[in-house]
Amino acid sequence: QSRTLTGKVTDQGTGQGLPGVTVIVKGTTIGTSSNSDGSFSLSGVPTEAKTLVFSYVGYASQERAIGSDSNFDLALAVDNKQLSEVVVTALGVERTRNSLPYSATNVEGSDVVKARNPNFINGLSGKVAGLQVRQSNTLGGSSNVVIRGTKSIGRSNQALFVVDGVPISNENTNTSDQRTGRGGYDYGNAAADINPDDIATTTVLKGAAATALYGSRAANGVIMITTKKGRQGLGVTVNTGATVGRIDKSTFIKHQTQYGGGYGRYYEDPSGFFLYRDVNGDGVDDLVVPTSEDASYGAPFDANKMVYQWDAFDAGNPNFGKARPWVAAENGADTFFQTALTTNNNVTIDGGTDRGYFKLGYTNIYDRGVLENSSISKNIINFAGSFNLTSKLSSSASVNFSKIDGKGRYGTGYSSTNQMTNFRQWWQTNVDMKEQRAAYFRNKQNNTWNYTDPDDLTPIYWNNPYWTRYENYEEDQRHRTFGNVSTTYKVADWLDIMGRVTMDSYDERQDERQAVGSTTNDGPDFYQRFNSTFREYNFDLFANINKQVTEDFSIRGVIGANMRRNFISNVRARTSGGLIIPGLYSLSNSKQLLSPPSERETRVGVDGIFANANLGFKEMIFLDLTARQDKSTTLPKENNTFFYPSAALGFVFSQLLQDTPWLSYGKIRGNYAEVGNDAPELSVYDIYNNQVDGQGNAITTFGGAPLFSVPSSRNNRALKPERTKSFEAGIEASFLKSRVGFDLTLYEQRSVDQIFSVDVSRATGYNGRFINAGEVRNRGIELTAFVTPVRTDNLNWTINANFTRNRNQVVSLFGDLDNILLANYQGGVTSNATVGQAYGTLRGADYVYDANGNKQITLVKNAAGLPTAAYYRQTASANNVIADPNPNWTGGLANTVGYKGVSLYFLLDVRSGGQVFSLDRFYGLATGMTDETTQNNELGNPSRSPIVRNADGSYAPSTGGVILSGTYAPGTTINGVDVSGQTNAIRTSNTNYGLYGYARNPAAGFVYDASYVKLREVSLSYALPKSLVDKVGAFKGVELSLIGRNLWILHKNLPDADPEEALSSGNLGQGYSSGAYPAVRTVGANLRLSF
Amino acid sequence: CVDSLDDYNIDTKNPTKVPASTLFSNAERNLGRTMASSSVNLNVFRLYVQYWAQTTYFDESIYDINTRAINTNFWSALYRDVLRDLQEAKTLASADILTSNKTKANQLAAIEVLEVYTWMTLVDTFGDIPYSQALNIDTPQPKYDDDAAIYADLATRLDRAIAALDASGDSFGDADLIYHGDVASWKMFANSLKLRMALTIADVDDAKARTMAQQAAPNVFTSNDDNAQLNFLSTSPSTNPVWEDLVQSGRKDYVGANTFINRLTSLNDPRLPVYFKMKPMTMTYVGGVYGTNNNYNSFSAPGAALEDPTLPGVLLSYTEVEFLLAEAAARTYSVGGTPASHYNAAVTASIQQWGGSAAQAAAYLAQPSVAYATAAGTYKQKIGNQKWIALYNQPVEAWKEYRRLDAPALVKPTQARTDLPLRFTYPVNEQNLNTANYTAAASAMGGDLVTSKVFWDRF
Repeated sequence: QSRTLTGKVTDQGTGQGLPGVTVIVKGTTIGTSSNSDGSFSLSGVPTEAKTLVFSYVGYASQERAIGSDSNFDLALAVDNKQLSEVVVTALGVERTRNSLPYSATNVEGSDVVKARNPNFINGLSGKVAGLQVRQSNTLGGSSNVVIRGTKSIGRSNQALFVVDGVPISNENTNTSDQRTGRGGYDYGNAAADINPDDIATTTVLKGAAATALYGSRAANGVIMITTKKGRQGLGVTVNTGATVGRIDKSTFIKHQTQYGGGYGRYYEDPSGFFLYRDVNGDGVDDLVVPTSEDASYGAPFDANKMVYQWDAFDAGNPNFGKARPWVAAENGADTFFQTALTTNNNVTIDGGTDRGYFKLGYTNIYDRGVLENSSISKNIINFAGSFNLTSKLSSSASVNFSKIDGKGRYGTGYSSTNQMTNFRQWWQTNVDMKEQRAAYFRNKQNNTWNYTDPDDLTPIYWNNPYWTRYENYEEDQRHRTFGNVSTTYKVADWLDIMGRVTMDSYDERQDERQAVGSTTNDGPDFYQRFNSTFREYNFDLFANINKQVTEDFSIRGVIGANMRRNFISNVRARTSGGLIIPGLYSLSNSKQLLSPPSERETRVGVDGIFANANLGFKEMIFLDLTARQDKSTTLPKENNTFFYPSAALGFVFSQLLQDTPWLSYGKIRGNYAEVGNDAPELSVYDIYNNQVDGQGNAITTFGGAPLFSVPSSRNNRALKPERTKSFEAGIEASFLKSRVGFDLTLYEQRSVDQIFSVDVSRATGYNGRFINAGEVRNRGIELTAFVTPVRTDNLNWTINANFTRNRNQVVSLFGDLDNILLANYQGGVTSNATVGQAYGTLRGADYVYDANGNKQITLVKNAAGLPTAAYYRQTASANNVIADPNPNWTGGLANTVGYKGVSLYFLLDVRSGGQVFSLDRFYGLATGMTDETTQNNELGNPSRSPIVRNADGSYAPSTGGVILSGTYAPGTTINGVDVSGQTNAIRTSNTNYGLYGYARNPAAGFVYDASYVKLREVSLSYALPKSLVDKVGAFKGVELSLIGRNLWILHKNLPDADPEEALSSGNLGQGYSSGAYPAVRTVGANLRLSF
Repeated sequence: CVDSLDDYNIDTKNPTKVPASTLFSNAERNLGRTMASSSVNLNVFRLYVQYWAQTTYFDESIYDINTRAINTNFWSALYRDVLRDLQEAKTLASADILTSNKTKANQLAAIEVLEVYTWMTLVDTFGDIPYSQALNIDTPQPKYDDDAAIYADLATRLDRAIAALDASGDSFGDADLIYHGDVASWKMFANSLKLRMALTIADVDDAKARTMAQQAAPNVFTSNDDNAQLNFLSTSPSTNPVWEDLVQSGRKDYVGANTFINRLTSLNDPRLPVYFKMKPMTMTYVGGVYGTNNNYNSFSAPGAALEDPTLPGVLLSYTEVEFLLAEAAARTYSVGGTPASHYNAAVTASIQQWGGSAAQAAAYLAQPSVAYATAAGTYKQKIGNQKWIALYNQPVEAWKEYRRLDAPALVKPTQARTDLPLRFTYPVNEQNLNTANYTAAASAMGGDLVTSKVFWDRF
């Protein structure tokens, strides 16, 4: 005799029905799964059955005694990431967490998109120990994603993204000029094309043991993305949301309001601050602002002083021909920013039967930046389906199509297209932003504040900021298709064989322009287009083995082969010598004969074979062994094969302590792995090439004579594979019914025989040559902990914290070389890899200190030998280590409080230590941009006032200037008396580049601590109670959330900027801030409907 | 599989074989541009000799070398973009079986002359430099050689090149951007370079200087038409870099320096209106104050001649040769003529080179302050002052001759970071990448300072 049990399973947090929950009679094979609204009906239950087990991936299983009940309504709680959690590992193999002998962190898709970040990568920041995500503040800018520190000296350190088995590169196509702060656009990284709403889970595989199966490209760790699968029945989910953003003013410059445009007192009028021209024709010279000067060391503001400014010369301007009071701008540079707007709409339809499932999604994300005329729109369609052809044979396919259209991405670095360079470094504080805007829109001409001269109205250094935005904008487009088809054949219960083809393909186009009438500082007007195609194909064939050999002993494994082929081809063409017809952006509109476009084509083929075995004993001891051999075309043929193994052991000690009630779970694990890597393409054979000019055009002829050159980097026919060796040990445990737990990992990775273009003395005739050399070591601690202080039916409060401390050291370089130069930046600053130091230390000129740590002072004397100024002494060499960009530690703290349908979540993201050099401060303090440059001296007089002396040479009470603190350098004399070591008493004028900027201080004076504490994400969501939803009828669930991102920087030490902001992703530009964009505070709302 | 993909790692867009002439042309272009440039990142010597003052951004005028890594850029341009390509051209030319031996010999000699020129420039700028072990990627840390020893070797090499040049044969033809393959011109250039080398070492080795000068003198340039110069073109990327900086960039970075303009004014120099424009809205020439801020419109800007994209980049000029002969004669070397006759010829050639007439030159030379007999100072000062004026379009040589002749008397600006540089400090990357050799060289130079002297700079 049997009976039928029914009921409904819901999510404890949202109250929504949970489809697909496995309901099984304990100890039997009698079971079913819940349907699309969570209800189930289980027939054929024997009367003697005692217990029902409800289990669902990602939720804590529950058991219910059957007794005499026949109706079971229950709510499942989200599992606290232990024990039964399923983790997707390399090659998509699903395993339970307890069987993993290495560190892997899962982040639920819903957690990634909690704050509705249009770039899902940024949604990982602060959530995973060992993962460092550094976001850019530019619209659509690239995010730097590094796991466990910088390993490779010269090659990419970006994590590999794998979406359902399809490897997706996180590289960007930014130029090296862009990455070293010399201008250009940040086109973002390609991994940002992934649809955030399609992500089911994200798994971060950190160490080499976890990633070894992916082969050489995974040496930097892998971020595995599993997209949502269709569920039984039919479901429709709609997400719609909008956010708005305003700049965080603590990360933007606040201009001083006391002095206006100019560099000092050396112009034409009697005061020296102004030009002196008879503008109104009355025969008397008038005061005119020196429009060509991009600094604010000019005349003190005085509302009674009438001055002709730029607008007086702008024909048609309401103020044309008129003088105006000399006052600070009413609408400063911060009014240049508009409100950012992002709309995010997504529809997903999914469904399935026991024969298969499908999923179809469409997402539109429209992102308008804080700069005018900037937008990125993403349209993403994704489809996935699987079908069980027979009980043994199943096939699946997925395809993602995305179209990204960008327009007016922000100019970066030191460039006339980056208004931040302008506002932060070179600006007149008397220029009113709204007036510049009106002047541009009046006739769409470049009516700039920065005329060469009142008699020459061409822009000298800076365009009207709105001209830059509306005329010199870029446009870009990327069409991308990625996906896979696969077939699995189940040979036996314990063996299936899968064949899979994956493809990632995109075509990209970037158009850049400089309109006729712009400043030609960076070269003549131009149109440039860049076309790039990217193809990657992977062919996989592997056998999956999963066998419970005896009751205690299980074996799982994979044996397989992979063929990968990459093709990249690009062309960059640019007009030469200017444009003929203004406003026409085509290559044929080149004033001079077009230089030949530069082309690059690379092909890479890698064949790999691999095997992996996981042996399990009593669900307690797990041993993983992997081996892989790769063969790559980028290496010399005789040296192109490399083999690497890994071994990992896990011990679930809680299995031995099952009668210890306070211990829910405990495991220790350790592993060792090696990963090999091939060479960058085209680094083996030597060629000749053409040099390029400052605009990137190839120089192919001089008159009729063809030109070729020896490339600046020398290739190497003797390259061999590079290797990363990694060791990891960890312990994880949870207590008190998994209310408290932690996961601690220690690791060390050594990357040896690195292939990079090592810098050599330029006296060799080269910048560098490709070699195998060098070792970089990363050691670190990762700690994740959680606690659930409250867990009741209605109230749930969880705190998750993570902490990462990575110590990076360059152990050796090449031969007895102890330093190589990674990049050269403006400001006399270089980025270096130095033996014994962390990667990427910055070098530059420094102060010279005396034995007591005081800065040494040198004197400037007049012809009579009297000191007229005192300046800090600087090192002659620019080779002093001045900054280390690597953080001491990073961490995140997330709080989730759920009460019935309401859930409040916030995330603090912390970085401690690391340093940043600010070119914005280097120049901006020299041009008198901020209050620091206008302060009073110790006598209470304006420091910018002239130095006034009494008849006896002593300083008058009214004197300006500043006495710099420090002691006289050795050998300093005053009136013939040696004053070395004494405290400085000589005043220095604070005019003409002042005292605080680069002109008077070495680069070391502009290095700041890069720590921050950010309130990164906040969300408050409310799921309508089921009772209410049911009344409406059509819906299965309604969830409304309010979200915020980057709402508050609780702590930072870099003045006027966001310490996280960087030029680009990648190895270059770390710890170097130039033309930095302010952080954007974003708030918004999202509505999620499921039908 | 991968083994069948042999061509995957071959660069399909760049050649693996090129004619030697393409590298020779490229090196000539790079050398000509480097010597002519007015970029604050590369060639700042118009400032160091106070021809020009800067307007708003005057860091280079007060000898800030580090911020823009000027020393690194100058060093790299000559080693990497000139000497390495010349070396490769030499290798390829030697291996070319289709070229006649006579032509090949001339090609190799022309390469040699340019190499000697470039090495001399490097020594003159830095002192001791990597030489015997340089340009070899298998010696990534080349030792530095003594500057005087390098000069001695260069003299031998130059003699061999002179002997090898055969005017009856061909050379690189139109791939030679300087002389279009005219071997006779190369021979004159080589001899003129030898004359320059002779006088450069005259203060330290008078006997050798005398021999070299006397050997070279009969075969040097005889008119402005013989000048070794790169004739820039009117279209990018073959324009004169000075035009790129003064005109194309739209910037107003330079005005004439008061030091130079005051001198030209006091001497009624007919080149003044060519060298500079009048101060805007006036009929006068006014120089900006060297080494501080200057308002562009209050001073005389560089003249229209410098705003011509086709202004030649001069490596060695007839004017310079006549000044060298004047000095040789003053040192009693038997080079024919008298100090005054060569001095007059030099000044006349310079004025004519800038479009002046013989009559203007004669009138100018007739002034007691200019005439060789009556001009103030020693022969070095007389020649030095006029040579300074004449080398306006050869800033690298002008700085060298200022240091060697100790004339004119230049005063460092009050805000100067260092004394007036007598050499460049070594590039930062030499300190990093070639540390032991760098350290040895710095100590041999008496410290890696801008005030350490190159071997020929005795006074």
